[in-house]
Amino acid sequence: MRCLLIEDERKLADFVSRGLRAERFALDVAHDGGAGWDLASRFEYDIIILDLMLPGLSGTELLQRLRKQNTRTPVLILTARDAMADKVQHFEAGADDYLTKPFAFAELLVRVKALLRRGPANQASVWRVADLELDRLSQQVKRAGKRIDLTSKEYGLLEYLLANSGRVLSRTMIIEHVWDESFHGLTNIVDVYVRHLRSKVDDAHAKKLIRTVRGSGYCLSDDSET
Amino acid sequence: MNTRSLKFRLVAWYAGWLTVLFLVFGVFVYFSLGHYLEKSLREALFRRARQVADTVERSALEWNVLGQEIQNHFAPEANNRFTRVTLDGVVKYTSGFPNDRSFGPATVPPAPVPEREESFEHRKIPDDPALLIVMVSRTAKAGRMVVEEGHSLGPIQTTLHAWLVILVSGLLLLVLVAVLGGFVLVQRALKPVDRIIRTAEQISSRNLSERLPVPQTRDELERLSISLNNMIRRLEDAFQHTQRFLADASHELRTPLTIIQGELENVVGKSLQKPDVREIAGSALEEVERLKNIVEGLFALSRLDAGEAQEHSAPFDLGELAMTTADQMSLLAEDKKISILCHCHQPVIVEGDRARLKQVTVNLLDNAIKYTNSGGRIDVTVTSLNGHAVLEVADDGIGIPSAAMPHLFERFYRVDKARSRELGGAGLGLSIVKSICVAHNGRVGARSNQGEGTRFTVELPLAKQSSGS
Repeated sequence: MRCLLIEDERKLADFVSRGLRAERFALDVAHDGGAGWDLASRFEYDIIILDLMLPGLSGTELLQRLRKQNTRTPVLILTARDAMADKVQHFEAGADDYLTKPFAFAELLVRVKALLRRGPANQASVWRVADLELDRLSQQVKRAGKRIDLTSKEYGLLEYLLANSGRVLSRTMIIEHVWDESFHGLTNIVDVYVRHLRSKVDDAHAKKLIRTVRGSGYCLSDDSET
Repeated sequence: MNTRSLKFRLVAWYAGWLTVLFLVFGVFVYFSLGHYLEKSLREALFRRARQVADTVERSALEWNVLGQEIQNHFAPEANNRFTRVTLDGVVKYTSGFPNDRSFGPATVPPAPVPEREESFEHRKIPDDPALLIVMVSRTAKAGRMVVEEGHSLGPIQTTLHAWLVILVSGLLLLVLVAVLGGFVLVQRALKPVDRIIRTAEQISSRNLSERLPVPQTRDELERLSISLNNMIRRLEDAFQHTQRFLADASHELRTPLTIIQGELENVVGKSLQKPDVREIAGSALEEVERLKNIVEGLFALSRLDAGEAQEHSAPFDLGELAMTTADQMSLLAEDKKISILCHCHQPVIVEGDRARLKQVTVNLLDNAIKYTNSGGRIDVTVTSLNGHAVLEVADDGIGIPSAAMPHLFERFYRVDKARSRELGGAGLGLSIVKSICVAHNGRVGARSNQGEGTRFTVELPLAKQSSGS
């Protein structure tokens, strides 16, 4: 997958490109609008990650030029502005997704993959991690063949963890997906629900699937190492 | 009546001065009128007395003829005058009763011996008004002759009395007109001030761009409204400056925060075999999370200050919102063995940004759960009262010290710093609640007894269509 990152903040570009290269993306990086436009108009990219505040050609103008050329390449906007009016304006200008700084790299990756339609790789109706099973049609959860009763929020949380199994999900990401933005900043609600979920999913088993990653969030994985 | 008001004082001064001036004028007129009337009477009497004296001198003192002659020539009775001629202290002639019966000639006391040739005096007589009597004395061969001519002072007194009545009633009328007219005038003069006050009162942090009406009068009022407008402009500048600073600061912090977070996550990912490094990076990440919350909070506040909440306004049921939110947060409460009781059964429709008002409920409930001890209870009530939707969140928790109450909704204010930090608060939750309420033309207040609990009350205007039901 070929990806173009247009971001003037070098350090930010650095860690994003390191992360994306580790995920085996072929990545080009441009540090200003002009260079970005140059690359974007010369090569076919599978996805463009675009910062809005750029020296020279601004991100907004670049996006408009790109769409005038009829390029279908999905564009993910990175911005420090999250005013609603801004979002609407850029979606209308042809942006495909919108990520507000500060963001966790994991979230960027989730969104990039969603845009590339590789999404959560798992489109099957039953998701499995180790001996944990989640049936998205019947909304049933089993561990080692035994049924587990979950409340709807617990189910939502587990589904989100499973859909991104192996990745660390920040509390903010979990809140945005399982709750809504009114709960922003209320990270302890995630902790409480994860604890309840753990007591139902992990407590009776020697192998713990839900891991806490200090400072980052939670991760559901088959990794035996901690 | 407010005796210290500008209106009252202006009218009082105005009416007071008018009364004093009128009184001075009236007293002046009263005395000069009295003086004038008496003077002209005196002069007429002197003329007559001299004529009588001349007649007497010419008549060779034939007293019987003389009486008849005075009667014929001067007719003192018909002119309501008193005439008496005395020769060496012996009365030779006295006029009869005047036609108006204003005095009895017989009761007029005898004249004293005059020292000068012509003199006058007020002479009291029993039962009647005093007489003005002038005396003209001549020295003839037969002896010293004195002619007295008198007239009652009654008519002058009557005139003066009538004038006094006119003066007093005129004064009363004048004071009445002055007060009423003064009120009307002052009212008219102060009307532009009233308008300025009404407009000024409607100006708050949310419509600082409005200006007061400037009356084109080239006077103090015009200057007042212009200088008030200048002050509002300076306030607006300062306010916008703060707002911009808040927005810029929260904006500028985002990129470095993203980088710090990204690098730290990288460190965590690469240091799987080094628990101490992971611990340090994790701890730093926790602080990044806290910073992110503060930045988010500040940004939310700056957008609320800029009036963004009105953008997604729609009518919805506040009771249902409170119930759903309480339900979503019930696990948090259960975790501390706190029971949340919802008293929101009837629909209360308000108009506003649902997500923002949900945040109000979330923040208040989160606060209540944080500061209520295990086993406590929280009551959530939604009612409509006096055209307002009222949302109450009451707990029986630790309460708030009264010294902290006035600062409760200030940014970064924490009642108990240590405890709040431990619970992960940034000190912005309640100021966000307040900003949201204000942006919805509502308000929020708190009552608390330390040790007994706290009650937060949010008042919002009901949606227009439902306010009648």
